[in-house]
Amino acid sequence: MRKMLFLATTILAAALSSAAANAEQKEVTVWSWFVQSTMQKSIAAFEKAHPDVKVNYTYYNYSPEYITALKAAAASGSLPDVIGLQPGSLTQQYRENLEAVNERAAKQWGDKWAEKVFPVNRKQMLMGNPKGDENYYIIPQESQVLCIWYNRKIFEKLKLSAPKTYDELKAAAKALTDNGYIPMFQGAADGWQNENVFLMLANQFSAGIVDKAQAGETPWTAPELVAAMKAWKGLFDDGIFQQGALGAHAYPTGAQLFAQGKVGMMALGSWWMQESKFPPPLSEFVQNMDGFDFFYLPPVKDGNSASPPVGGIDIGYGLTKNGGKNPEAWTFLAELTDGVGLQEALNDLNDLPAFDGNAPKGDITDHVKEMSARFMADLPKAENQRFASPAVAEALDNALAGVAAGSVEPEAALAGVQAATEKALAAK
Amino acid sequence: MRAGAAVAAVRRRSASRASTLYLFALPATLLFVVFVAYPILWVAEQSFYAGRTDGAAVFAGLANYRSVLSDPTFWIVVRNMALWCVITIPVQMLIGGLLAYFIERHTHALRGFFRTMFFLPVVTSVSVISLVWVQIYAPYYGIAQEYLRHVGIVMMTSPIGDPKTAIYALIVVNIWQWTGFSMLMYIAGIANLPSEVLDAARIDGAKGWRLAVHVIVPMLAPATKSLLLLGVIGTLQTFPIVHLMTGGGPNRASEVFGTFIFKQSFVLGDTGSGAALSVIVLVIALALSLIQIAVLGARLSPAGKEKP
Repeated sequence: MRKMLFLATTILAAALSSAAANAEQKEVTVWSWFVQSTMQKSIAAFEKAHPDVKVNYTYYNYSPEYITALKAAAASGSLPDVIGLQPGSLTQQYRENLEAVNERAAKQWGDKWAEKVFPVNRKQMLMGNPKGDENYYIIPQESQVLCIWYNRKIFEKLKLSAPKTYDELKAAAKALTDNGYIPMFQGAADGWQNENVFLMLANQFSAGIVDKAQAGETPWTAPELVAAMKAWKGLFDDGIFQQGALGAHAYPTGAQLFAQGKVGMMALGSWWMQESKFPPPLSEFVQNMDGFDFFYLPPVKDGNSASPPVGGIDIGYGLTKNGGKNPEAWTFLAELTDGVGLQEALNDLNDLPAFDGNAPKGDITDHVKEMSARFMADLPKAENQRFASPAVAEALDNALAGVAAGSVEPEAALAGVQAATEKALAAK
Repeated sequence: MRAGAAVAAVRRRSASRASTLYLFALPATLLFVVFVAYPILWVAEQSFYAGRTDGAAVFAGLANYRSVLSDPTFWIVVRNMALWCVITIPVQMLIGGLLAYFIERHTHALRGFFRTMFFLPVVTSVSVISLVWVQIYAPYYGIAQEYLRHVGIVMMTSPIGDPKTAIYALIVVNIWQWTGFSMLMYIAGIANLPSEVLDAARIDGAKGWRLAVHVIVPMLAPATKSLLLLGVIGTLQTFPIVHLMTGGGPNRASEVFGTFIFKQSFVLGDTGSGAALSVIVLVIALALSLIQIAVLGARLSPAGKEKP
């Protein structure tokens, strides 16, 4: 009888303590397309630092799953507390559902917190805001710098070096092709990779010209942009890109071939370093990034300089109106963007930090550290890679595909982008 | 008086029976209203509003419809959908019918194997199909190129990367994926053919090609009509294969209604235009279905009975 009584008391006590624990446990809901394994590490670090908070993370593929889920949730008022965002168009689409975070950020990191954010990121955080709205609706977590990665082991084998002129780039592409490699893999079926290369080219002809064009300060039909568009076509015609690039995707096809050592070069960005942190087996090229190094696109015309670094926010997060009512949501967002959560993402080499003063730690080789340092040195002077209006980005994607396919002339293609820009600016 | 009471009792019973019948219909009606009628009405309403940059929606009348119809991409989509419909439906029916005929009449021990193999693409994930076909089409390093190399053919471009061929390349993938479904419908039709009719035809001397064309094909008309109706609706619903393989490109050359609506609504955030497009697609689907039912009749399944 005593045993029974003892057992019953123990069960009751356990049930009560469990109920009490559940009552104290607070919850934050997060949606994003951010790499699941890395996010789980960030969440684990956060929950260790804040044991009374539980984070529920839902991962989506970016398109179409994530953007459709956001749209449906916004329409029904059921957005989670924190959502992954890209600066510009995506943030602007949900601005009405987001809290301005200026005050919370100032309280968290001090009045001059924004100065800790790299200039290109700061510019992108406000991109697309109505005139006079200086509120921040997105806090960046990671930055990126676009570049041309090359397989240095293949280059070494073929006695090639990182090209410094367009002729050297063409010669390297020819040598790679002649030896059975894909010269520069371009997933030209994806608008984003085409935009990235075009931005490298355009900023080579005139730094910042794309920003001026999308703001309506310079026409898209300006000679520099027409020249950049012609140079873009040249990358296809001169055999720099692989044959049939317009039907190819950068992910997963291109990235897999690049990692396997079948591709000589690929226009990606600082995020490529994370390949070395993926679960084994890894190829000899990806292991510790031994096979890879990067350069910026060499001058495509006499008188040009190499492309300047182009980049900005890789991913940021917004606090929704629902999240604004949950104090733990901001705590998580702050830790994810400039705290223990960010540190885990950096240690995973997911990308570069958006806030200055952070760096990856842990098991990282000297080669990776050196490349990371080069990216970090270039980040403060990076040109903007983002578009404020999705309609302008879409028009540019179509123009780039049309010119590459030879179905439209560069001038006519850019006139289409100009028309889309005027329409977008008028709607604003 | 007694007769009056009896009539009243019958009326009461009849009213009670009618209300019971309505109660049985209630769950289906509710499901239809909540999950079909309401969303359609909601989308129709949205098509008359335009979103402002401050997030508010303003009444725009027919502006969204005018904007969609004056967009050249809309007419590219209409052309692509017409091509899709005209090519995929007959080709799928023809190949599917031939497969069904040969499997049912000329295979015995391996019948189940062939049925499964040809039906496999229908149940395979579209993501996997897209990845495989992008690799098949890839020139230079692609799967098709590996075989073509042996006969001295070098693919210079990818069929999905050329604006002139992209839509046809996607149509080929669609036919490959869905032919198994046509085959299955015809197999069901052939299995239901009355054996006495076939025997009578054989006694009359019909065999081989003649038996197939003059006896079996006409008797499979219900399956053909069903495939036609489903094919038209399926064409208008096309989305994942195009989204995953070309994204509607290059330069919108392979855009279909599904990708166009997706871009307008979710990429560009123009919900009004997306809703207007959805309503247009709904009207087209409805009109085509009604025309087919009017022209071909409503007997759409092999087991279906014509009304006298």
